[in-house]
Amino acid sequence: MVYTKKTPMTFILGVIMLVYGLTVRSGVLDALLKQSGQIKNSDEMIYMALTAGVIGIVVGLWQMIGSAGEGQMDYYLSTVGGALFILFVAFFVKWWFAPEIKVFSKYVGKIDWMGGKYFHKIFGLNYIVLGIITGILIVNTTGVPKWAENGVRLSRLGLKSGVILLGTLYSFAELTKLLGVSIVLIGIFVLGSVWMVLWLGSRKKIPNSMAGVLSAGMGVCGVSATVAAAPVVVAKSTEIAYTIGTILLWGVFMMFLFPLIGNALELSYAQFGAWAGTGILNSAQVAGAALSYQPDGIETLKVAEVFNITRVLFLPIIVLWLAIWYVKRESTGEKVDIGKVIIGKFPLFVLGFIILFALASTGIFYPANHYKGKYFDNTKVKESKMMTDAQVAKLKSEVDKVEDLDHKGAMSRLIENRKVMSEKDDAHIRTLVLKKKVLSKDVRKILKKAHKAVRHTSKRVKKFRQLIVWFFAFGLIGLGMQITFSSIKQAGGQPLVIGTIVGTIKAAASLAVIYFLTDFAFLS
Amino acid sequence: MLKPKRILLASHGTEGARAAEKMAFSLCQKQTALHHLVVVPDFWKGMMGDDWLNNASTRDTFGNYVEGQLDDEIRSHVKKLIRETEKRGINYQYQVELGKPTECLIKAAHSIKPDLVIIGAPRPRGKTGYRSRMKPEQLVHKLNATLLIVPHP
Repeated sequence: MVYTKKTPMTFILGVIMLVYGLTVRSGVLDALLKQSGQIKNSDEMIYMALTAGVIGIVVGLWQMIGSAGEGQMDYYLSTVGGALFILFVAFFVKWWFAPEIKVFSKYVGKIDWMGGKYFHKIFGLNYIVLGIITGILIVNTTGVPKWAENGVRLSRLGLKSGVILLGTLYSFAELTKLLGVSIVLIGIFVLGSVWMVLWLGSRKKIPNSMAGVLSAGMGVCGVSATVAAAPVVVAKSTEIAYTIGTILLWGVFMMFLFPLIGNALELSYAQFGAWAGTGILNSAQVAGAALSYQPDGIETLKVAEVFNITRVLFLPIIVLWLAIWYVKRESTGEKVDIGKVIIGKFPLFVLGFIILFALASTGIFYPANHYKGKYFDNTKVKESKMMTDAQVAKLKSEVDKVEDLDHKGAMSRLIENRKVMSEKDDAHIRTLVLKKKVLSKDVRKILKKAHKAVRHTSKRVKKFRQLIVWFFAFGLIGLGMQITFSSIKQAGGQPLVIGTIVGTIKAAASLAVIYFLTDFAFLS
Repeated sequence: MLKPKRILLASHGTEGARAAEKMAFSLCQKQTALHHLVVVPDFWKGMMGDDWLNNASTRDTFGNYVEGQLDDEIRSHVKKLIRETEKRGINYQYQVELGKPTECLIKAAHSIKPDLVIIGAPRPRGKTGYRSRMKPEQLVHKLNATLLIVPHP
């Protein structure tokens, strides 16, 4: 089978992108970009648009003039048009649509009855959310063009690449701390929701196959878990349709609702990441909600993805559990091959994440002693970042409140030198920032500033972050193009009732737990 | 009384569709050709939704599994109709299409050119089944044959 379609569209998209890149480079659009606050991204626009443009023109010309034969190269080249199509949407939304929404929102002004915030902040209307909405609108109105279908499927690769690259941004201390918390929370909530669906299913006397497929979807990672579990529990077609419809409906709804609640409760990035990673059913929407909550940084995404990875690792275990559970109840169930289930369902991309994390820990990308992507160096502290006399006086007034001798010593050296003196001292200062009961808010603020002044982000980390965000944006917009209203419409029957009960309990209970866990648990 | 020579019946095994099948049988006479259209709704194409975690093998397994399920359902449905039509001596043919039910029916009607098209009435609220219904208004406008909508039993 030959996948490449004779179409001028790849070439046309390439030309549009090339012309756009050249126009930005010429400075013609500077006034408009300044007005929308996008002038800071002009280098990114030029680089991305020119690169994509050249690829589009070369491949587009080949698609029009060349003759494709069967083979892997034919398949790979057939995806270029769709990939450019997603990028085209991403460029438009990130550089023009979302900034204009922000400009309009600021023009409307802060909304008093909604906590005195701008509406784009309240509803999380940034390029990620708007990109996903645009993707959903495209597939449900005009549909994804035939020539772009293969490329749109690449969005999965985009997300997996994003997660793998994310491995470079964790320090050992950070990852072990997050993994510990996520294993406990995910363990409780995943196993809890699977059990609750099975229990409710038996109370409502729904077929075992329906309860099985629904419990995987509600408990682990939404549609992905349903896809993995359906053949194992021999689900009927209507049961699959009901379950996937229910999960998609919940997933899309939660992606918009979670940031709204997070903003209202002023959750920290780490808290929100943990909540989204635990409470949102669909793993794609976890990333969407995290980036929606913090579009200009990836702290939330980093926490959310560790939770996501943890629950993905639960997937083979849950599928195995359901397979055994089903065989015990139904005579039609096939004998379970434990090894086959574990190996077959193991998400290989997690290995990529672990490998990149291990490589990053050796210092190959940037100083290995970084914490949350920032390394210690107190020789680079600018004069403006040194502590002022007033700040020193404030610290002096409270230093005796600190009982721990190591912490007190670090604070004393900070007072003496007006900057943090060693990495060890920095760790003590970071801990003091979290001591709400010991130090006043003002002093903790000063300590936080002093900590920030000696922590620097390497240029490579910045580039990695940019790249990761692009991979996620590409993946999420492309996945948006695969969410059809006709599949959401299938939500119904008992799966909708049980799904609503379990989904609500899971979201509310995980919020309650995470809300009362201070940042200490995640960040210290 | 209607005496159609060629009937196009759209049914997919639900309660309402079974009522339409009964009606079609009762209207069939010797020499009447009964053409049966089974539509697999195209929402199945988007049923893997935003799954991105699974590997190609898991996705293939799921795709093949769903295909097998739908195939089994259609086979057992068609088998019943073959048995019934053989008993009644009706000239029976069937056709399976993937798409939107209304569009598939209109397309089939244009190629088969029946005297009569029979469908079941939309399912009452609360009854289980796919949310993928015929749109009678569109059918009325676009069909080139008499349309009979059989009430839900």
